[in-house]
Amino acid sequence: MAHFNIDSKKNNTYDAIVIGSGISGGWAAKELCEKGLKTIVLERGRDVKHVSDYPTAMKNPWEFEHRGQVPLEIRNQYGNSRSFMREETLHWAIKPDEQPIIQEQPFTWTRGYHVGGKSLLWARQTQRWSDFDFEGPKRDGFAVDWPIRYADIAPWYSHVEKFAGISGNKDGLPELPDGEFLKPFELSCAEEHLKKSLAKNYQGGRHLIQGRAAHITDAKQIHYDQGRGQCQNRNLCVRGCPYGGYFSSNASTLPWAAKTGKMTLRPHSVVHSIIYDEKKGGTANGKATGVRVIDANTMEMIEYYAKIIFVNASAINSNAILLNSTSNHFQQGLGNNNGLMGKFLAWHNYRGKANAEFDGLKDKKTDGKNPSNGYIPRFRNIHKQETDFLRGYAIGIGGGRGYGSSRDGIGEDLKNSLLNPQLGKWYMSAWMMGECVPTEANHIRLSTDQKDKYGIPQIILSAKWTENDDKMVKDFTEQITEMFTLAGFTNVKAVDSHSNPGSDIHEMGGVRMGKDPKTSLLNEWNQLHECKNVFVTDGASMTSTGTQNPSLTYMALTARAVDYAVKEIKKGHL
Amino acid sequence: MKRRLLLKSLSASVGALLVMPAWANNWNLQSVGIQTSFLKLEQANLLAEIVGTIIPEGKIQGAKSLGVPVFIEKMIKDCYEKNAQDDFKKGLENVEMLSNGAYNQSFINLSVPQKEALLKKMEVSTDVKQKEFYGLIKNLTIQGYTTSEYVMVNYLKYEMAPGHYYGCVNV
Repeated sequence: MAHFNIDSKKNNTYDAIVIGSGISGGWAAKELCEKGLKTIVLERGRDVKHVSDYPTAMKNPWEFEHRGQVPLEIRNQYGNSRSFMREETLHWAIKPDEQPIIQEQPFTWTRGYHVGGKSLLWARQTQRWSDFDFEGPKRDGFAVDWPIRYADIAPWYSHVEKFAGISGNKDGLPELPDGEFLKPFELSCAEEHLKKSLAKNYQGGRHLIQGRAAHITDAKQIHYDQGRGQCQNRNLCVRGCPYGGYFSSNASTLPWAAKTGKMTLRPHSVVHSIIYDEKKGGTANGKATGVRVIDANTMEMIEYYAKIIFVNASAINSNAILLNSTSNHFQQGLGNNNGLMGKFLAWHNYRGKANAEFDGLKDKKTDGKNPSNGYIPRFRNIHKQETDFLRGYAIGIGGGRGYGSSRDGIGEDLKNSLLNPQLGKWYMSAWMMGECVPTEANHIRLSTDQKDKYGIPQIILSAKWTENDDKMVKDFTEQITEMFTLAGFTNVKAVDSHSNPGSDIHEMGGVRMGKDPKTSLLNEWNQLHECKNVFVTDGASMTSTGTQNPSLTYMALTARAVDYAVKEIKKGHL
Repeated sequence: MKRRLLLKSLSASVGALLVMPAWANNWNLQSVGIQTSFLKLEQANLLAEIVGTIIPEGKIQGAKSLGVPVFIEKMIKDCYEKNAQDDFKKGLENVEMLSNGAYNQSFINLSVPQKEALLKKMEVSTDVKQKEFYGLIKNLTIQGYTTSEYVMVNYLKYEMAPGHYYGCVNV
C-alpha cells in the first residue's frame, strides 16, 4: 500500500499546476512550458479541440433546423439560463446542476466550462491600462494602492500582444497607451463623422478611436507558427473560429504549450482545493504542495502535486477554490488570515445603452463585416475629480448602415420587397463601460451547509450596484445624448437598462493585489502574501477595475508572474 | 437500462444528423412525408395554402416549394408551448370557418384574390386571436423563406466569409 502511494504520488507530480484553461490559464501554460516546466493544466469542463470541436462554425443559416431557436424540450433543461441559448452556441451552455449558486442579490454569472473557457466566447476587445487606472485607488481613496504601475506591465503587454495578434491604431492617447498593433479595422463613415464632431465640440477632450481587437488582420510569422491565419470577417466568433482569426487559448496558447511536450491537459477536473503543508518551506511560512481534484466523470478525488500553482479558474471560482482550501494554519481559506478574501468583488457597469439614426451620408455605405467597433476612451475625471461620482466610463460605438425590407403586404408584392432589400439610414449605437469602485460589502463567500454535486460548498454571491454606479449611468445617458445630438444624429434614445451586476462578464477582485499583507492578498507578483508558491493571475487579482476590457491585462499579468516565478525557482526561493 | 437509453438517444442524434442535410438542400415537398405528425393532413394542406398565398410561386420560387410549411410546422411543434400550439391549430380551423362563412367553401378552393382578401382581413382584425395567428404565420413564413438557401444565395447575396470590412464605400 505504501508502495502504491509513493508511485501514485510520483506519477501525479509536476513542476507546475495551472487551474483553468481560459484566457489567463492558457497563458500560464504557454509560458511555463516554454520555460521548461512540466505542467499540468486542470480544466473542469470537457475538452474542446481547435477546429474539430467547433460543430457549428461552418454552418449556414439554413442548416440550423430551427434557424437558431432552441427547442423547448432542450431549453427547459437549462433552467432560467439564457446564455448561449441558440442552436449556434448551445454547446457552450451549462446546466444548472453543474454548479448551483446562491444569489443574495441578482448577479448574472456567465461561465465557460470547457477547455478554452471564455477565451472562445469573449468580445475580443483588448485595450491597455494606463497609470490613470493604476493610480486611481490611491488618488481617489478607495480599495488599496496597486503595487504596480504601467511601466511594470508595459513590456508584458507588448509580449502578449505580439503573440496574440492585436489590431489597432497608434492613437497617441496617454489614457489608453498604444501597443504592438497589426493593421486596424476601419471606422465607418458615420463613426468618422462622430469622431470629427467630438474633436470639434470637446476641444480635444473626447476621442473616438477604433477599438483594439484580438484579430489577425495582417498575419505575421508568429501567427502562422501557431497555425493561425487572417480573420475572415465572418463575425461568427462565438462559434469558435476555424481560421484562428481571433485569439483563444484553443487556437493559440494551448497548442503552443502542447508543442513543447511539457504540457498535460486534464479536462473533467473540478478543483476542490489547494493542499497546504505548514511544515514545508522551513521558516515562517509553509507551502502549497498540490491540489485536490474531483474527476467529473468518476467523482473520484485525485491529488496532483507541484512546486508552484497558478490559479486561473476565473475570478469567482479562483476565490471559491482558495476559500475552500482550509487548513490548520489557514482556517478561513488559503492566504486569507486577514479575512479579506472574497471581498471587494467588482465588475464593469454596462447599464447605459443608447442608439440613434443619422440622415446624412446617404451616398455612402459599409461593405463586409466589422469584427470590432469604435471606442471612446474614458474622458471623465482623468486629470482631476470633476463630477459627483468617482472614476468614469469608456463607450463602445457602432455605426453602420444595413439593408432592410418592408414586411407589409402579401403575395408577389411582399415577395418582391423581401427579395430586394433597400439601404436604410445610418444607425448608431453606444454602450457604456464604467469603472465600478470596489466595496467591502460586495463579496462572495462559501455556504456552510449547501454543497454541489461534487461535494464542494456552494458559492454565495452578494453584490449590488452602488450610488456611484447610478450616478455614472445618469451621466452617460446625458453625455451620449449630447454627443449624438451635436453630431446631428436624430431619434436619440439613451437608457439605463438596469441589467444585473455581472452582465458585463467582467467580474474582478476578491483576491486583490496590494503592497500590505494586512490589506491585500497578493503581492506585486500576484503571489499570495502568505503562501508564496501560489499565484493568482486572473480577474480575482484585480485591485480596481479600470474601464478597459480586462482580458489583455490578465494575459500580461500572467506572463509577468510566470517569468518571476521561474526566476524564483531557479534562485531556490520557491 | 441507462445504457439502453444512451444508445437510444445516440441513434436519435445520428438520425438528426442524417436529416440535417435535407434541411440544407432538399427544401422540397418530399421531405414532408418523413417529418412530423403534429398536424393532420388537411391541416398541413391548409397551412401550405396559407403560406403559398403569403409568398406565392412564380418566376422566382415561392415559400411552398421551398418547404416553408414544413419548417413552420416543425417550429410550432418544437419551439412553442402547448397552449400556443393549440392556438395555432384553432387558428387554422378558424381560417376554414371564415372561408366557409364568407365564400361558402374551403380556403383551398378559393381564388388567389379571395385568399389574399381573407388573410388581409385577418391581419387587421379586431379579434386579437385572429390577428396574432396571422402575424405568427406571416412572420414564420418570412423567416423560413428569407433564410432558405435558395433565397439567401441567389437573391440576398449571402456570404459567410466576406474576408473584408470597408467602413466607407460609395452606394
